[in-house]
Amino acid sequence: MRFADANSEPTGTPSTSRPVTRRRTMARLLGVAALLATTALGGLGIGAAPARAEDEIRIGVIYPLTGAAASTGVELKAAAELAAAIINKEIPAPAGLVAGVGMPHMKGAKIRLVFGDHQGNPQVGATEAERLITSEKVAALAGAYFSNVTATASQVAERYGVPFLNGESSSATLTQRHFKWFFRTTPHDDLFVTNFFTFLEDMEKKTGDKLRTVGLFNENTLWGNETTKLQVKLAADRKFDIAEKIVYPAKTTQMTSEVQRLKASKPAVIMQSSYLGDAILSMKTYKELGFLPKMLLANDAGFNDSEFLKTMGKDGEFVISREVWALDQADRNPLIRQVNDLMKQRSGVDFNGNSARAFTAIAVLADAIDRAGATTPDAIRKALQETDIPATGLIMPWKGVKFDADGQNELGQGLIVQVQNGQYATVWPFDVATKPVVYPMPAWDGR
Amino acid sequence: MTADILIQVLVSGLLIGLIYALVAVGLTLIFGVMDIVNFAHGEFLMLGMYASFWAFVLFAIDPIVALPMTALLLFAVGVIVYQTVIRRILKAPMLSQIFATFGLMILLRGLAQFFWKPDHRLIPHSLVSGNIALGPVQFGLPQFVAALGAIGVTGALWVFLHRTRLGTALEATAIDREAATLMGIDGQKMFALAWGIGAACAGLAGGLIATFFPIFPEVGANFILIAFVVVVLGGFGSITGAFLAGIIVGLIEVLGGFLVGPEYKTAIVLSLLLIVLLVRPRGLLGKA
Amino acid sequence: MTTMTQTRKAAAAAGLLALAALLPLAVTEPSQQNFLILILMGAQLGVAWNIVGGYAGQVSLGHAVFYGIGAYASTMLLLTLGLSPWIGAPVGGLVAVLFALAMGWPCFRLKGHYFAMATIAVAEIVQVLVTNSDLLEGAVGLTLPMDRGGLGWLIFLSKLPYYYVALGLLVLTVLASWAIERSHIGYYFRAIKDEPEAARALGVSLTRYKLIALSVSAFLTALGGSFYAQKEMFIDPGSVLATSVSIKIALIAILGGVGRLLGPVLGAVILITIEEYSRTLFGSTGSGTDMIIYATMIILVAVFSPSGVLGLLGDLRRHLPGGGRTAAEPGKMEARP
Repeated sequence: MRFADANSEPTGTPSTSRPVTRRRTMARLLGVAALLATTALGGLGIGAAPARAEDEIRIGVIYPLTGAAASTGVELKAAAELAAAIINKEIPAPAGLVAGVGMPHMKGAKIRLVFGDHQGNPQVGATEAERLITSEKVAALAGAYFSNVTATASQVAERYGVPFLNGESSSATLTQRHFKWFFRTTPHDDLFVTNFFTFLEDMEKKTGDKLRTVGLFNENTLWGNETTKLQVKLAADRKFDIAEKIVYPAKTTQMTSEVQRLKASKPAVIMQSSYLGDAILSMKTYKELGFLPKMLLANDAGFNDSEFLKTMGKDGEFVISREVWALDQADRNPLIRQVNDLMKQRSGVDFNGNSARAFTAIAVLADAIDRAGATTPDAIRKALQETDIPATGLIMPWKGVKFDADGQNELGQGLIVQVQNGQYATVWPFDVATKPVVYPMPAWDGR
Repeated sequence: MTADILIQVLVSGLLIGLIYALVAVGLTLIFGVMDIVNFAHGEFLMLGMYASFWAFVLFAIDPIVALPMTALLLFAVGVIVYQTVIRRILKAPMLSQIFATFGLMILLRGLAQFFWKPDHRLIPHSLVSGNIALGPVQFGLPQFVAALGAIGVTGALWVFLHRTRLGTALEATAIDREAATLMGIDGQKMFALAWGIGAACAGLAGGLIATFFPIFPEVGANFILIAFVVVVLGGFGSITGAFLAGIIVGLIEVLGGFLVGPEYKTAIVLSLLLIVLLVRPRGLLGKA
Repeated sequence: MTTMTQTRKAAAAAGLLALAALLPLAVTEPSQQNFLILILMGAQLGVAWNIVGGYAGQVSLGHAVFYGIGAYASTMLLLTLGLSPWIGAPVGGLVAVLFALAMGWPCFRLKGHYFAMATIAVAEIVQVLVTNSDLLEGAVGLTLPMDRGGLGWLIFLSKLPYYYVALGLLVLTVLASWAIERSHIGYYFRAIKDEPEAARALGVSLTRYKLIALSVSAFLTALGGSFYAQKEMFIDPGSVLATSVSIKIALIAILGGVGRLLGPVLGAVILITIEEYSRTLFGSTGSGTDMIIYATMIILVAVFSPSGVLGLLGDLRRHLPGGGRTAAEPGKMEARP
């Protein structure tokens, strides 16, 4: 770079204030006019539903497809699309799978999933729910992964009287609202947290060790907050000591202060709730600061994301996590292996707890619509209430699907898995375990 | 609290503080030269991280080895951004400039998601991995190397601005644009240079952070608020100020989080910023 | 200023208002009505922001704090004392004014980017405090009771009443902004913005008038927050106190034209349309296309129309034959736009 000749005009520097010429103004105006015209057309376009086939059953599905949780949202979308493909018989279904027979009572009508992106924002979730109901004319809604978005989106469904089937949100309060149109297939946090403490008691009996000092380490959105409250309550009920309770701000740049505090309080067990980015960062920080509890009990989410193990490698080993699904349960239920193979063919990854639940939600919904024999909200709701799917029709390790008066599936169950040799192995309940628990957690450098 | 823990906390704070300083120097340089706040700076960091990631995955080049390439690449990105967008809004009011760089931030995130998927990625085994233990104090080698890199880059930048002809011209433009123009310095070139160097600093930071931090399209959001705090605390436009402020913010964040509670660590840092601004309305070392 | 143009302006305003009032007759689909409500909400916030950010030239990027105060105040009063939002919203507004005074007093010593950054810091601190507050249910958020309804509680099943409440709120905000613009206070605001030293020399208390601007803006923004809570029936720190909310409010005003009475209204029409349109059409792909389109639009507007879309129209008028006025300096306000 050389300096310009002192005499040459210093073009474009802010100090030169040439008057705006008419031609430039006109050019700019044309640009903006074009912009305005497109946006105006766009505005009219919103809600003008596209033409659709007569025999098509539309289901609205709301996930976080952009924003911080987009990677999970895209995975959920792939699972939901697999379910739709099976229901529509584009892919032959394994025998016995719920909704695997297509929709015989609906004269073989096809279902079409209409996706909405809630960007992790509750207001956008509500807006999308409304759009899907009123302008896309969906017969039912499914989604939305984030508990707080499920809260607002299902509220819209409740107002319009449209069934909302939630497959992945675990906040206990969602089914305590006594909604008429809300159904949830997954078990919720009450059960998961209870399982943790039962598991710890079982482990005490098995090992003879005291595991009564617990460090709570949860992120600070709705999910982490509710989990913390449940953990505090259950710890008191079951006589566990809380050595440290940390609610950390999600999406942070460093977790040194958090991990230092945990380390200083010397808990036997850590119970952690984190989404993917934080899960990875916290594990790195544990290792960096040489912190090693006897057990790390993770609350699903980030720790069970397909990418967690891919990115963590050896350092992700021996994490224990609550789960709703595990591939190794395939030995007990062949459907798991068969459907997982289909998933792997289609999108290149195995199922995980989240995507398996998204798949199941769409299948359960399609099954209900088929039994309803109609797409009116009342008929679908009635069919959902009458749902009674046996364990053998599911890819989930549940006793089945049957909703209680508040829309909660009563037959859901949780698993506890541990990362062993790069796989999630079921270690609890002991009667369905495929591997014994590796306890205590081996040292970071001894792997 | 024992002395061991205190020392450990201070060391961790110092390391992360140096990394904050590195992220912030590029931002403050751009501001110092042309009074534009770059909201897309975190996205430059993100691009730097992805550049390192792809160099590792596709060509098996370690992020540390790839640093010069990452810097060069981001320099080009900075110049391109300047030539296509920023050059056209130099005369616009401050608000439109915020608007443009904000748009740029969303655009780069969108493009990253479009081309590289929203997945979280990690560079599994870089040249610098593992831990260092000095007595009771432990820290990660990647963090240590990144902190050293931060010192090196900031130092090199200082030498460049104060000891080279080109750097002095840049500094002159920052101090008095009119006078610099009269002296025959091409303002346009200086601005483009500032964007190139600013982005290259973010790229270097990205390359260094990529050795221990997950890489995803929105990763810039984790760092941008802290980077702004560092820039303002140090005084807009002051490289030395940003360097000092980065260390202070890192120490306060880790120490405050440890003593008061991690849920308040951001609030503690921001409160510190407000208090400093009340006493020194132009930050620690800001230009009058 | 002749009475002729005054009358013409009044007629144009009345026409616009009548058009807005009749619009739901043509747009009956609830999701389209919802889209219109989002525009009205955005416009109201933009006009309120414009009072301090545009007229007085104090760029706040922390308006979410007032928005959040409004939303939390009316909701808490409803949940704990059973007070209607008709009372809760003005109370929230007053709390926001008190907060604005407490925050503005020290922060107005700062200039330009320092002030903007300080407002971000204040709003972020409040977000952290609310997120960790047990009293306000922290990150869990607050849900409004669904068993109530009607005008008294400002909770409705259909979209139409929300539309008219939002329209009313926007009209109120525009009127407040208009009254300020025409009064001596508005004159002082512009003096503070364009010639702070001269204004000080003439004995105008800068801080006092900045505080007035911030207080009025805070009050109106808080009303917008209460309306949000009534409409969505669920609030949490992430949706009403986040810095992204503050930035969006400022963007709306900037896009339309800062310091112009109806600039933010135009800004809201454009920004909300782009936002909803790009998400609806492309968001479901999960590939980030909607963000790319949204961002490209924003950058194009910033590059082609730096003083906002209204500013561009103003430029054009000056260049048309017989436009009559001498060119004002770009980016600066005319005395009577």
